[in-house]
Amino acid sequence: MRWQEEDIDLYIGAKEYVDTLLIPLMPLSMDDKFDINKLTVQGELLTIFANEIEKQFKGRIFLMPTYNYMFNEESSLELTRLNNWVDKIEANPFKHIFLLTLDHQWKKHERDLAGNLLWFPAIQSGNVSSKESQVIIKDQINQLSELIRSYW
Amino acid sequence: MSEKKQQVSRRQFLNYTLTGVGGFMAAGMLAPMVRFAIDPVLQPAAQGNYQAVAQLDEITNEPQRFDWTMDQVDGWYESTVTKSAWVYRNDNDEIIALSPVCKHLGCFVSWAGSEDYPDQFFCPCHDGRYFKDGENVPGTPPAAPLDEYEFKTEEGTLYLGKAKPKGGVI
Repeated sequence: MRWQEEDIDLYIGAKEYVDTLLIPLMPLSMDDKFDINKLTVQGELLTIFANEIEKQFKGRIFLMPTYNYMFNEESSLELTRLNNWVDKIEANPFKHIFLLTLDHQWKKHERDLAGNLLWFPAIQSGNVSSKESQVIIKDQINQLSELIRSYW
Repeated sequence: MSEKKQQVSRRQFLNYTLTGVGGFMAAGMLAPMVRFAIDPVLQPAAQGNYQAVAQLDEITNEPQRFDWTMDQVDGWYESTVTKSAWVYRNDNDEIIALSPVCKHLGCFVSWAGSEDYPDQFFCPCHDGRYFKDGENVPGTPPAAPLDEYEFKTEEGTLYLGKAKPKGGVI
């Protein structure tokens, strides 16, 4: 399910079946210090992953709109804010909270997060829509959905 | 002299003009109405949205998943969507193409998705199950059979159209 009118109607009628929340965490930056190119590719990938997972498990996973934050900022601030988000939504109730990201900085704070962190490294083969990348991405998505299913 | 002038009498002239103007007005009214009336007949020909999905010799008795992409305009979103179908031949050698979208809440079902039920479609979200012909297994969450795609075959290629609800058994 998504943050969309038609899905919300469905969600309200079937709340007890939707017990899993998925929040993609996407870092942004416009600072030349960082590799903005890499950040955008990661952002695109993250969106693809989130959409595909939602499509496969539409009836059980609620996909939150992406959580955006400035890259390389003071992370404790974001940690508090994100946990706050999760706390508020978790009461809905959601049994499983997954935080999906390609930003490795979260890994260090995994213990303090109010959800299961699904971090994985991005593939660096450039174009996301090329044939080769598609095969790799599909495979990664399959593994990711298996991981999520193992929590259920 | 008067003979020549009588070729078109006043009465005739008025008749011709009135018929002409009247006919023109009638045509002006009828043309759109006729166009509206036959419009439904003209429509379907332009909409035969069948997509090539698989070669016929690829299709076996075991359901296989085939994916294809199509452009879709949905309100504000113009996108290329990937569609999937589970395709197989049944015992009467007829092709069956089932939509993978679970009728419960819309997850993707997969053939033999659960080790316990190797000859059923399985939905990973809430353990919904369907028999091979798409009928929902009673006692599992789904309340309707899987949708079935309209299909046609041409020169050894399978084309799929829209997914239609099968209806029938509850």
